[in-house]
Amino acid sequence: MAGVGFHLRKLVQRDDLLGIVSGFFYSTWVTAGPWVMTIVSLFLIVWISDIARYRTVAEFRLIIIYNFAFSLALTAPVFMVVTRYLADLVFSTGEKTSQGESPLDRVPGMLLGSVALVFLSQFPLVALFYFWYVALEPLVRMAAAVNYFLIAALWVVAVYLTALKAYHVVSTTFLAGLALSLFLTWFFTGGGSLAGMLAGFSSGLALILFGLIAYIFAEYRADARHLFGFVRYFRRYWELALAGLFYNLAIWVDKWIMWLYAPERVVIIPGMPSYPDYDAAMFLACLSIIPGLAMFVLTLETRFFLRYLRFYRDIQKHVNFHRIQKNLDRITSSLSGGLRSLMVLQGGIAIVLLLLSPRLYEAIGFSYTQIGMFRYGVLGAFFHVLLIMQLIILTYFDFRRLVLVLQGFFLVSNALFTSVSLHMGFPFYGSGYFASTLLTFVITYLAMVRYVNDLPYQTFVLNNLSVRRPVPAAETAADKGGRAG
Amino acid sequence: MSHAPGISAQRNRGKPKAQADVCLILEGSYPFVTGGVSSWTHELIKAQSHLSFHLVFLVAPGADPACRYELPANVSGTTRIVLQQIPAGRRRISGEKKLMNRLEGPMLRLLSEGDLADLVEVQAILAGRKTEVGSNVLLDSSHAWQMLVRMYNATYPEASFLDYFWSWRVLFGGIYSVLLAEMPQARIYHSASTGYAGLFAARAALETGRPVLLTEHGIYTNERRIEIAMADWFHEMEEDGLSVHRLPHQLSDMWVKAFTACSRCCYKAADKIITLFEGNQLFQLMDGAQRNKMMVIPNGVDIDHYTAIPREHPPRPPTVALIGRVVQIKDVKSFIRACAMLQESIPELQALIMGSTTEEAHYYAECKQMVEHMGLENIITFTGQVSVDEYLGKIDVVVLTSISEGQPLIILEAGAAGIPVVATDAGACREILLSDHHDGDPPHQGGVVTPLSNPASTAQAVERLLVDREWYQRCSEGIRMRIRRYYNKSCFNRTYRDLYEYYRHHPGSDAAAGRVV
Repeated sequence: MAGVGFHLRKLVQRDDLLGIVSGFFYSTWVTAGPWVMTIVSLFLIVWISDIARYRTVAEFRLIIIYNFAFSLALTAPVFMVVTRYLADLVFSTGEKTSQGESPLDRVPGMLLGSVALVFLSQFPLVALFYFWYVALEPLVRMAAAVNYFLIAALWVVAVYLTALKAYHVVSTTFLAGLALSLFLTWFFTGGGSLAGMLAGFSSGLALILFGLIAYIFAEYRADARHLFGFVRYFRRYWELALAGLFYNLAIWVDKWIMWLYAPERVVIIPGMPSYPDYDAAMFLACLSIIPGLAMFVLTLETRFFLRYLRFYRDIQKHVNFHRIQKNLDRITSSLSGGLRSLMVLQGGIAIVLLLLSPRLYEAIGFSYTQIGMFRYGVLGAFFHVLLIMQLIILTYFDFRRLVLVLQGFFLVSNALFTSVSLHMGFPFYGSGYFASTLLTFVITYLAMVRYVNDLPYQTFVLNNLSVRRPVPAAETAADKGGRAG
Repeated sequence: MSHAPGISAQRNRGKPKAQADVCLILEGSYPFVTGGVSSWTHELIKAQSHLSFHLVFLVAPGADPACRYELPANVSGTTRIVLQQIPAGRRRISGEKKLMNRLEGPMLRLLSEGDLADLVEVQAILAGRKTEVGSNVLLDSSHAWQMLVRMYNATYPEASFLDYFWSWRVLFGGIYSVLLAEMPQARIYHSASTGYAGLFAARAALETGRPVLLTEHGIYTNERRIEIAMADWFHEMEEDGLSVHRLPHQLSDMWVKAFTACSRCCYKAADKIITLFEGNQLFQLMDGAQRNKMMVIPNGVDIDHYTAIPREHPPRPPTVALIGRVVQIKDVKSFIRACAMLQESIPELQALIMGSTTEEAHYYAECKQMVEHMGLENIITFTGQVSVDEYLGKIDVVVLTSISEGQPLIILEAGAAGIPVVATDAGACREILLSDHHDGDPPHQGGVVTPLSNPASTAQAVERLLVDREWYQRCSEGIRMRIRRYYNKSCFNRTYRDLYEYYRHHPGSDAAAGRVV
């Protein structure tokens, strides 16, 4: 008689835990990278234009900031999902498909597909905005829209290069491109042509964009097929897409509220309000997170990541529970250690900046009226970097739903507190961002402690695909046949 | 006494379904697999055509097997329980922590030293909550997880946690699926094995108070023991796997204990513990069966049918046959080795291997390869699944090399046709071929019993039968007489008819009152 419900062989092989490990490594770069890129470029532009003080320069700066802000937020769902898909491809390298192609052969097609998706989905909005909503010269409308799409495409393409670990290519290309951008922008500034400045800036971006695309095509010589193969990932990882959107909305929402409602806002192009002082203060403050991020990435890649891998690999190697628990303790200790040193470093930077802010403002030549906002910005940036670290850790452990909720909280609280700070008056400008990052940090910390301590349960049950399969109920078919006798 | 089916159905108010006379509980056999248990079941239902049967099938998850039998007309309904498939149930229930904490003790005992009292306790805890609890609470909740970890720490703290985790889920999932499944209404519950089916039968006894019969063919716990031993439990060693402690035996111990505990529950709940032959009763006693409930009802064959099969007389080559599925447990390889030895003394020998070759494809492939390596292609033929009747006339000796058997029907069929049998000392083989029933004038032995996995003895016994005509005649007569006297089908049918008749009118299970002590 055949025994049922008893398949030892299957039992042992049914552990797809390592699937979870696949692919969170790159989330670091994707969460933090574009933001850093944005702040640096915007800061440079703001700085230069602040010195120049021409009207066209102000207009130029405005358009660039709008383009950066909205393209980052709107493209985030795409690049989050693309990252996940790419990471899975990279981790499945070695497995060949039935046609004998390597998974990475899908990269060229997917690159075109994802850029096309960004263009197609955002075209109506951008066209409406620049060609109908705001009043600009025809040439400027054109140049502004082109600039928008170049930036949006860059967010997506950058993801491919980080996922493919071509960090040096990214940085060199960016440096060269930005240098060209700044040079051309500066060059056209003299002529006072807004369209010219935009085109100059765009040509630098185009250099970066096409340079990177060329690099990808050179690295992955395969026919561009299955252009939209990644789109099904939106269904599976909708939390990821939404979380990306929430996060990137959250980091802009305070600025948007200030642009729209602060009495001190400036409207140099009708329909495109802004508050340059607030932006400048915040960009400058956010520059301070760069050292913290760098250190975090370093510890993440070394100590934490090894322990993280060890945790999952040991489970695969059939260790006992005691050992699993011990590995978890090691993860927790590396996390708290990492958080502690990050706090020390970033705290030190924050204190120095707070104390030296008048000197700093004097040195770069910004208006002193921004100093209050800048100080709140520095405090906010301190918690922001801690928050980023925790969110990345949570993403590593694939707590997608939690991350979504936390980033939603960040978005809502930043909007709410910024509105409140606006009502409280000028001295409190920037305190909304600070309060929001502080509160989100605290909540994320508590959630992280709880979830990470629960990691074995999360890993074995909640996040385990072979456990979380829907099961149909036992069926009953009564009275099948007629009764005899 | 007017316990006609119609009346019992009316009594069963509130339930739309009619109450069947017999609820037959089948695990992994009828009607999806062909084999001994399945043909036993099929014949039993057909023979008791005056009774209605409700069939409960317990099947493995993932497989969707095809029906191999046409269900007789007196099957009034079927229930299919897929093991480990439990409704999801509510995500959270009130008093979840308390419920799980209360379950922990009895569940742990039920699956180790388990007894019916533990099942009673588990049933009491789940009573009234069966619609709201499901896999969400019982398997996936954080309380279930804590329960799992505590059980692990209390029982096998050194074993691979990954393996324990899956063992726990499969075992508990199986138990819960049996405990939460709908219980069909019937006058009698009759289980064809212990294991999960036995657990379901025990539940039936507790819930309905109706009598429970158990007919054990093979011994469930023994079969599981063999399966566990044969299973590829050892993980493939990784290159850096030296630092890893592996204690696979601990977990297989856990499985064996759990199955034994399920058997014990079923024995205790049953009113009759039936088996096909005395040899099995020893194991049943060892697993905790009560002697006063035990009974032997051997299978029977239609004597007239087999006697009527004409013998095909020589000139034709001497022919031996192994009739059974080509699976590991039948040890077909030993048969092939025996044939290789026989070939030396009886070069014109023909050997048939008759039975399904699809069940364990890799094993069949290995057997075929072995035949080729030994150069036996001209001697050994794999016929696949065929009608045995057509072959019996030209077979001289039937051979069985199984390492585990119940009461092989083929010995009865071949015996009724007067064909001597050489069989390994497994299951009922010795009893059928050799035993003295102490009813005066013992018949001659019906063949030879050989040790397990011993091709040389098998070959030797076959050779003597084929060479020594007088010995052959005596064995042929002996087995014919034995089958006619002890394994007559009409006898079998009458016994079950009487049993069913008795328990159908029985006011209630003896055990319901007294068995839970």
